[in-house]
Amino acid sequence: MQLKKRKKAGRVRRTLSAASATLLVATGTAAAQDYYGYGLEKRNDNFGPGIAYTQMDSALLVYQESGGRVQATEPSLNLAVHGATGEQLTVDLIADAVSGATPNGAVPSDRIQTFLTPLKAQGSSTTVTSASGGSTIIQLPPTPGQIAAAAQGRQYTTAANTLPMDKGFRDHRAGLTLGWSQPIGPISDVGISGGYSLETDYQSITAGLRTAQNFNSDNTTVSLALNSEFDTSSPFGGIPTPLTAMNAQWKTVTSRNKTQLGFVLGLTEVVTRNWLMQLNYSYDAQSGYETDPYRVISVVDAVSGEPTSTLYESRPGKRQSQSVYWENKFEFGPSLTDISIRYFKDSWHVTSKTAELSERINLGRSMYVEPNVRWYQQSAADFFQNYLVGGQTLPAYASSDPRLSKFTGLTYGAKVGFPLSARTEIYLRGGYYQQTGNGHPATAIGQLKTQDLFAGNKSVFGLFGFQWKFH
Amino acid sequence: MPASATASQLSQSGRDMVYAFHAMATPCEARVETDDAALAGQVGCAVEAEARRIESKFSRYRSDSVVGQINLAEGRLIAVDPETAHLLDFAARCFDLSDGLFDITSGVLRRAWRFDGSDRVPDPSTVEPLRALIGWDKVTWQPPMISLPAGMEIDLGGLAKEYAVDKALAAARSLTPMPLLVNFGGDLAVSGPRTDGIAWNVAIASVDREGDMAGLLELTSGALATSGDAQRFLQRDGVRYSHILDPRTGWPVRNAPRSVTVAASSCVEAGLTATLAMLQGKRAEIFLKREGARAWCIR
Amino acid sequence: MKSRTRTRGARPLLLLLCLSASGLCASCSGIGPRPWEKDLMAKPEMALTPYPLQTAADEHIYFSKEASSGGRGFAGGGCGCN
Repeated sequence: MQLKKRKKAGRVRRTLSAASATLLVATGTAAAQDYYGYGLEKRNDNFGPGIAYTQMDSALLVYQESGGRVQATEPSLNLAVHGATGEQLTVDLIADAVSGATPNGAVPSDRIQTFLTPLKAQGSSTTVTSASGGSTIIQLPPTPGQIAAAAQGRQYTTAANTLPMDKGFRDHRAGLTLGWSQPIGPISDVGISGGYSLETDYQSITAGLRTAQNFNSDNTTVSLALNSEFDTSSPFGGIPTPLTAMNAQWKTVTSRNKTQLGFVLGLTEVVTRNWLMQLNYSYDAQSGYETDPYRVISVVDAVSGEPTSTLYESRPGKRQSQSVYWENKFEFGPSLTDISIRYFKDSWHVTSKTAELSERINLGRSMYVEPNVRWYQQSAADFFQNYLVGGQTLPAYASSDPRLSKFTGLTYGAKVGFPLSARTEIYLRGGYYQQTGNGHPATAIGQLKTQDLFAGNKSVFGLFGFQWKFH
Repeated sequence: MPASATASQLSQSGRDMVYAFHAMATPCEARVETDDAALAGQVGCAVEAEARRIESKFSRYRSDSVVGQINLAEGRLIAVDPETAHLLDFAARCFDLSDGLFDITSGVLRRAWRFDGSDRVPDPSTVEPLRALIGWDKVTWQPPMISLPAGMEIDLGGLAKEYAVDKALAAARSLTPMPLLVNFGGDLAVSGPRTDGIAWNVAIASVDREGDMAGLLELTSGALATSGDAQRFLQRDGVRYSHILDPRTGWPVRNAPRSVTVAASSCVEAGLTATLAMLQGKRAEIFLKREGARAWCIR
Repeated sequence: MKSRTRTRGARPLLLLLCLSASGLCASCSGIGPRPWEKDLMAKPEMALTPYPLQTAADEHIYFSKEASSGGRGFAGGGCGCN
C-alpha cells in the first residue's frame, strides 16, 4: 500500500487529532498518554498488489564439472517494474562464458585415438591449442569433390582408456528477454514476451503470449502460455551430413534451423492460508535440426570392440513432448517447505521423473538456510546407442549423447540468505549434481567390457545473488 | 428500520478466533488472537453490546434515541448526557475546522437525495429549500443544552460507527491483553501488534471488483477508516454523483475519489480525516499530502 | 509408430492430471482463505518463483545436462545447449 511517508502533521490534522483525543479521553475510551503512539509500518516497506515498485535481481552462477570438463560463468540480471494497477515490465539480461572439455561422443578405447575437426576459423593460420595438451594443426590431403577445401584441419588425440573429449571448447553467449503484462478489462492478466540470444555458433529468437484469469477471491488462477522459438545453428565447420565419417573438411551447409511451438496450461491454487499449489501441463513440438553438430558416435569392431571409425550423430527432425508438473508450498511457523514433482514424456521415447524438495528455515529475521535435494531419473531415447557395431546396417538415427541416455541425477544443495532489510537480500547457494548411469552394459563387446561407457557428469555449482526492491 | 437480527457466530480463522455479528447495517467482527473460545466469546459479546448500545443511542430512526429526542424537540432546549455532549463538542470543532464542510445538520438532504445507483438526480427546486435547514451555526449548543430551529435535525451517522469501533475496542481491551482487532464494516482498530510483533494484515477492497484486493496494509497499532462510494452513488449523463454532499451547496462534492482509506491513532480521527478528504473533491490527495496523513485514495 | 507411442504415453499423463485436478476440486468450489487471511501468501518467499534468477540458473543447468525441460510454466531454453 503506497502510504504517504510520515510528514509533519498539517493544521487540520493537528486540530483533529487533539479533538479526537479530547473526545476519547473524556468518554473513557482511551488514556491520554496512549493516544499519540500509532505505528503504521516504520518504513514504507510494502511491496505487493496495488503498489508500484521495482525489483531488481542480479546473480552470478559459477559451474564446474569434474575431470576438467565444462566450466561456465554466468552473470544475469532481471528487472521487474510493477505498476500500481497490475502492469509489469520485465527485462532479463544474461551472459555466459563457457569453456573446458566436453565428451565428443566416441567410446574409450584401449588404444590411442585421434579425431579430426575443421579449424575454428576458416582460413585462419592460428594454432588452436589449450593448456591441457590439446590439438595440433595438420595439413590435409586434397579430397576430390570438396568445395572450399580447407587445406588445414585440427587434430586431437585421446589417451588409451580415457573418455574422448574435445578440449578446445570455448563459447560466449548473451541474451535479452523483454516482457510486458497487464490486466485488460475482465481478464486478470495478458502478457507478451520476446527474447533474443546469440552465441558464436547459435542464435535463438523466442516469443511468447500468456493470459491468466483469477477466480474465487484470487485464490484460483488459470493460465495459458503459448511459446515459440526459432533457432539457427551455425556450427564451426558447418553442418555435417549425419552418419558420415568425421573429417576436417568445412561442410557445405553452414547453418540449419529449428522451430518450436508449445503451450503451458496452468492452475494455481491458494488452498489454505499456508498452502499454495501449482499444477501445469506442458506440450511442446519441435521441428528442424535437432542434431548436435559436434557430436560423433563410434563404430566398433563386432568382435574386439575397437573403434574403427567415427561418424557424425543423427537425430530425428521432429520431437513432441509433454509434461505434468505439480508443486506445493507449505508455510508452518519459521519453515517453508517446497515440494515438486514432474513427469515428462516425449516422442523420442524419453520418459523422466523429477522430484525436488527444499526446506527454508528462518533463523531469526535476518537469515535463513534452505537445504534442498533433487532426484531425477530418465530413460534413454529410442535411438540412443553407446556405439554402433561395424557390419550392421546403419540405423536412421543414432546418438551417444549422455543427455539422451538412461541415468539418475541427484542434486544436493544448500542456500543461505540474508535479508538485509525488507528491501534487499543477498543469498548464496551451492550444490553438487551427480549423474549416474550404467557404464558397463551387459551387451558390451570385447575391450568395451573394460571401459566405463557412461559419459554423464558430476558438477559443482555456486550461485551468488542480490535482490533489491524499491519504489 | 430495525437492524436485522442475524445471529452472531464464533469461528476460528487462522490464529484468531473471530466473533461476527451484524450491526449498524454492516457486518462486524471482533478478532482475538487466541485459541480460547470462551475468551473470544466474552470479548465478542462485549464488542457487540457496545455496538448495539451506540447504535440505538444515536440512531436517527428511533424516536426514543438521544438523536431522535433532539430532532423531535421542535425548538425546545434538551439536556444531553456527558457522552452525547462530548460527541457534539467534537462535531462542533470539526465544523469549525472544516469551514462548514463537515456538518451534522446536513442530514435533511436525505429528503432530496437517494443514492441507489440510479439516474434520479433531484431537481434543484427540491434541494434549494433544504439549504435553509442546514448549518451547525444555526444550532444553539450550550453544553449540556441543545436546541435546533424548527425543521432542522442532527445526524451522527458520520461519527457513530467510528466512535463505536474505538469504544468497542476499549471494552475488549479491558477484558484481555491478547491482540485484538475490531472491524465494523471496514472501519477498524487494533489494540497493538499481534504476538511476536507481527503486524495485522488488512486488505483494501477494490472499488470495482467484488472480492478483489486493491492493496494490502500492515497495521501494528491505531485504526483505519475508509470512506467510499462503492454502492451509494447516482449516475446520469456520464456524471457520477458521489454520496458525499457538500452542506454548503446541497449538491454532491464533485470529483471526489472513489475511496479514501486513512490510518490514524483512533477510528474517529481516521474516519473524520477520510470524510474531510472526500469533501475536498478533486483536491483530496493534495489535502492529505499537505496534512501529512497516512492515506490511500482510489480514483 | 509415432502416433501409437503418443496414445500409450498420454494415458498415464492424463490420469495424473485428472487425479490431481480432482483433489483440487474441493478447494476450487469457493473455499479458500479470505483476502484478510492471506497474510502468509503475501510474504515474498511464498510466491511461486521468489528468486527468478535462481530458478533460471537451475533450469539452465538441468536443461543443458538432461533430456527433459520445462514444466514450470515459463518457457526456458534459448541457448544451444541441448
